[in-house]
Amino acid sequence: MPISGSPSRYSAVAQSFHWIIAGLIVTQFTLAWMADDLPVGMHKLALLARHKSFGMTVLMLAVLRLLWRLFNRPPELPAGMSKAERNLARGAHAAFYFLLFAMPLTGWLMSSAKNYSVSWFGLFTWPNLIGPNERWFDVLRTTHETLSWLLFSLAILHILAALKHHFWDKDDVLKRMLPFTKPEKRT
Amino acid sequence: MNRAVVAAATAVLLSAAAARADNVASFTADTQQSKLEFTGVQAGAEFKGVFHKFTAGVDFAPDALAASRIDVQIDMNSVDSMDKDRDTTIRGKDIFDVAHMPAAHYVTKTISKTAAGFSAVGALTLHGVTKDVPIDFQFTQAPGGAKLTGTAKLNRLDFGVGQGDWKSTEWVGDAVKISFSLVLKPKG
Repeated sequence: MPISGSPSRYSAVAQSFHWIIAGLIVTQFTLAWMADDLPVGMHKLALLARHKSFGMTVLMLAVLRLLWRLFNRPPELPAGMSKAERNLARGAHAAFYFLLFAMPLTGWLMSSAKNYSVSWFGLFTWPNLIGPNERWFDVLRTTHETLSWLLFSLAILHILAALKHHFWDKDDVLKRMLPFTKPEKRT
Repeated sequence: MNRAVVAAATAVLLSAAAARADNVASFTADTQQSKLEFTGVQAGAEFKGVFHKFTAGVDFAPDALAASRIDVQIDMNSVDSMDKDRDTTIRGKDIFDVAHMPAAHYVTKTISKTAAGFSAVGALTLHGVTKDVPIDFQFTQAPGGAKLTGTAKLNRLDFGVGQGDWKSTEWVGDAVKISFSLVLKPKG
């Protein structure tokens, strides 16, 4: 696999960022939904501790991914796409980058406002961003939840779009983000 | 030895004892200005809490440690970790169980001088269990009273603080740090 971006495929680095973060986000939704159903207690504390550690991992990866993205151009969109489709694709990708930062940051702020400092897998503790404040916690919690639904919807749209490109348009948009596939020009 | 000498010697000894007792000043803590704080570890991160309601009586003289004493009574219901959910859990039957054990009590048994200040060993009654807990502290004279600041460490499970799920130390640490800062006013 080529390390630097090639015109037709995402690089190994870009693919790794994409799939590792995607896996972490699925884990995050699973942990959050499991914790939501539990009463305050040890089990909930444990699930949310993991949720916070994974969330901060996403934030660190998001920083690296954004830096990588700024210095490495992704492959061009297929020539057959209309201007509206291109704008939609770019908008969706920009929204993903926004959410990769906004989700962990609102979560971190939530923890700070509730006076539950965020530990990274028990190895070190992140500083609190704001002081304990119940009102702010409620606002941040609503924001975090609303953004999570936006992320969920966007992910569904993203998956459907990738499948549409692959099966309907028969271009290489899906395959160029899949590891272990041979580069090919389907357009 | 004649009677006069004995009487004189007795008088000297008595006045010395009286003087010594007088040296030991009696104080009560001004709870508005005093602070009793604890630091626990939850999911790998420290969190702080305070007890808003407590009373403290202190008899202290640096040169009469045998006659000195610190006595603190804590209202466990006044715990505040700056999160209502956590406070409710802490007050519940598996942790402090304030419904059955609403107060904690600490009273020193021995006090000694150290390089940094003083140290004491006292009996802490917490959650119905009494065990010795050492403290380190500094005593400083202040205008209109004195100040007593110090720290202690204890293991919550020694006192049965944490039943059921909370006996595990995987997500809530056993060790708890205590720090206190008492603003003392002469006992009126």
